[in-house]
Amino acid sequence: MVVRRFFVVAVALLLLMTLAPATLLGQDTVVCEAYNEAPELAEQVAAGTLPPIEERLPVNPRVVEPAEEIGQYGGAFYDLYDGGRLAEFRQFGYENLVRWNPAGDEVVPNIAESWEISDDATTYTFHLREGLKWSDGELFTADDILFWWEHVETNEEIYPTGPYAYFVVGGEPATVTKIDDLTVEFKFSRPHGLFLQLLSAPYGVRVTQFAEHYLSQFSKKLNPDGVAEMMAADGATEYGPWWIGRVGSYGHDAEYNDPARPSLQPWIPTEPFRGKERFSFVRNPYYFKIDSACNQLPYINERVFSLATDPEVALLKTLDGEDSLSNDGISTPTNRAVFFDNLETGNYRFVDAISSNFQTMRMHMKFNHPDAVQAEILQNKDFRIGLSHALDRQTIIDTVYIGQGIPFQDGPRPESPLYNEQLSTQYLEYNVDLANQHLDMVLPEKDAEGFRLRPDGERFTFTVLANQDFRPEWIDILQFYERYWEEVGVDTTIFPASNDIWRTRKDEPDIDAFVWVGENALGYQPFLDNNTFTPEFGDGWQVWANENYGLGYGDLGGASAVEPPAPLKRQYELYTLLTQAVTLDEQVAIFKELLQISADEFYSIGLSLPAGEYFVVRNDVRNVPEPLIRGWYYPGPGPVNFETFFIDQSAS
Amino acid sequence: MAQYIIKRLLYMIPTVIGISIVSFFVISLPPGDFVDRMVSERQQAGETITAEEEEGFRAIYGLDQPLPVQYFKWVSDVVLRGEFGYSFRWNRPVEELIWQRLALTFFLSLTTLAFIWIVAIPIGIYSAVRQYSLGDYVVTFLGFIGLATPSFLIALVLLYISFKYFGQSVGGLFSPQYIDAPWSIEKFLDLLSHLWIPMIILGTSGTASLIRTLRANLLDELRRPYVTTARTKGLPEYWLLIKYPLRHALNPFVSSLNHVFVGLVSGEAIVAIVLNLQTTGPLLLDALRTQDMYLAGSFILLLSLLTVIGTLFSDLLLAWVDPRIRFR
Repeated sequence: MVVRRFFVVAVALLLLMTLAPATLLGQDTVVCEAYNEAPELAEQVAAGTLPPIEERLPVNPRVVEPAEEIGQYGGAFYDLYDGGRLAEFRQFGYENLVRWNPAGDEVVPNIAESWEISDDATTYTFHLREGLKWSDGELFTADDILFWWEHVETNEEIYPTGPYAYFVVGGEPATVTKIDDLTVEFKFSRPHGLFLQLLSAPYGVRVTQFAEHYLSQFSKKLNPDGVAEMMAADGATEYGPWWIGRVGSYGHDAEYNDPARPSLQPWIPTEPFRGKERFSFVRNPYYFKIDSACNQLPYINERVFSLATDPEVALLKTLDGEDSLSNDGISTPTNRAVFFDNLETGNYRFVDAISSNFQTMRMHMKFNHPDAVQAEILQNKDFRIGLSHALDRQTIIDTVYIGQGIPFQDGPRPESPLYNEQLSTQYLEYNVDLANQHLDMVLPEKDAEGFRLRPDGERFTFTVLANQDFRPEWIDILQFYERYWEEVGVDTTIFPASNDIWRTRKDEPDIDAFVWVGENALGYQPFLDNNTFTPEFGDGWQVWANENYGLGYGDLGGASAVEPPAPLKRQYELYTLLTQAVTLDEQVAIFKELLQISADEFYSIGLSLPAGEYFVVRNDVRNVPEPLIRGWYYPGPGPVNFETFFIDQSAS
Repeated sequence: MAQYIIKRLLYMIPTVIGISIVSFFVISLPPGDFVDRMVSERQQAGETITAEEEEGFRAIYGLDQPLPVQYFKWVSDVVLRGEFGYSFRWNRPVEELIWQRLALTFFLSLTTLAFIWIVAIPIGIYSAVRQYSLGDYVVTFLGFIGLATPSFLIALVLLYISFKYFGQSVGGLFSPQYIDAPWSIEKFLDLLSHLWIPMIILGTSGTASLIRTLRANLLDELRRPYVTTARTKGLPEYWLLIKYPLRHALNPFVSSLNHVFVGLVSGEAIVAIVLNLQTTGPLLLDALRTQDMYLAGSFILLLSLLTVIGTLFSDLLLAWVDPRIRFR
């Protein structure tokens, strides 16, 4: 367990950030007389094919402090991609309007230079950087953001269900207005205190992805004839799917497939990559950031991508040193030994990582089970307490996780200011007598073999579903659970399901519970996901919450609404209040009340706090801070400024 | 003969239609659909998808329509416009994805077939002529080992050896610098240099069965009177062997041509996945797992078309090789 000092500092900083006055967070304070650029770019300037650096950078470029030292230009950064989402945000570039700092405790300016928030947090006014240019040399202005709003986000053919949840409050989408070329205003009908943090999450990049001067040709409204021609040439009949395949937004691979499409990322494509096994992205000559010594970033010349669809092949290539920064699914705790063996041949090093996850395996009960008797048992808190006390967590941690991690029930990580001790440490004691005591309160009758019976006389069975492809060790852990629970008379069955079917399978009536990781629990991330600390598998309750509070829960397997008990109703109410809270203090107070209810209700049974995470980084890559943080709302390790990485040519 | 060919071609049409219907519906049998897979993938990456977004995806991909409607849309595209639909996963028309892979699969299968024949025939002849000799036993033993070991296991072992001892860049049919280069002699030679691993892996099990078959058939033929006659006429042993008994013994080779070919095209899927080859296998498996309807359906349609044509072709070839066969 590591206590991070800066999360304490975060309270003050976030307080500063969410209050009304304009905040310029002291990043852009370097004054440069002259800028330096990469030799290749300097050559192009000398040859007259590229404007000089002063004209390419904005008036106030963003200054980024490298983690270790000022870097050297040159070299290549190697990536492996699995054929799915290219340039996975978290390992490529992170150019949202605003973004997290590397430590993940404050939102800092990025494309936006500064902003103002109204006292009631309904209006956000962003000031863009003067002279900031797209990769083709055109200025980035408020028009680009307006284009995104009017022709992409609110375009029903592309997003049939409306704009993304971040831009919708109280069921009403934002109103986006251009004040002038460099100022944009987002206005909501109700307070939206979490807007900046949400903009810093991956989907927030949509705002700054669309260059109006180039992409208007793909808009059906603005260029109907041209679009019809292009669609006919591509053999497409529907605009939506065609647009997604041709232009694409965040999450679609088309976003990088068109080299003519302007970008704000540090590296840009030179050719369509689809269907290719190996391709490069090169330096963006108009990238708007510099280091503290007035050198234009990025240092690295190119990013070379290789296709490796099979995880084993990807693992082999990473061991061979063909991946400069390992992919999330490759540098897993189970592969640690293999990476250790090949340290010298692969010429890489381990870099520690902290996960934003708070739970290695979190069990969710199907609270709204179609069988009423089963539902009542699962909803009974003593049942869950009994099960929890029957587990010897330390043995499981020692066996499966090789001693890494500590027993942990539920709730935000200890490093987070939202940590709730009761929620995280209750019922962790391995005590079979106590377990039996609690279970006797719910299922007192037993049959001849010692298994507990339901109130209607049948043997009580408990079936747990686990996605064996996502975390194969869950199956091993559940076998321990099975043994411990059978000792206290609960007839347990494990149902391993493959990746392809687990999601639909868990809605079948024979499944009583499923397991998943617990995520988004560092810092203030818990604010951003409204489902983490309320029942994830109470589909009927969630449908009710959608209908009555508009909370938008998904993956509900076609359940019908069931009225929740009073404490849970209060939690749904609190989530709604949270999104309308204006100051950080308010937000924290609301959330703490919510967490306390979760602690009192004890919804999920947990195992341990994740530990022992790592990335594998090639030895020639420098300026990689340690530890790296993994996460989603904090799209780790994206915020650690990939543009400041450099290749130490002598170590290649 | 011409009548027979025309009849066969006409039968092909309902066969292929039937296959397309069955495959399309079988692909959609597993619970859920493509959007479920996609959402699941994103959930594992840490995202939360709301119910509305999911419905939005379904609307965009047309997956909220009933299945027969989806099928007819697809089939009419194929028949009327020669377009195979849109791949959800890769977000582009299916044609872009499959043609090059089909070509490479075809090429790999043909070269493997050639490899099998080149290896199996001489060894089979040797085995028959020198029956029960040490050479016969050794060769048979190796053949059976190749037959008994699963091809993906051989692939994994070769992959590891290649990585550990030869430091070769593992996976793929091309070296990195040739992957997207235009075709040239060097690229072709590079392809051949990478082709030997999948060719050997796929060929080993095929050679074993063909060696044994050839050996058995040849042994039968060698005891026939006409062979003795030919010997007394003074023909050299090897010439005699090739001109008469071998032709008979090759009969089953030709008639099983189709069977072997189909086995290659489908069996190579596992090996291709393990070795990360650019053939149809990995793409088809991926399409089936994610229920990428049109891509998977088109693949199966084309592969079954190949099979049906191949059957016809091998039947005709057999008739040409063996004059004893008559058409009914």
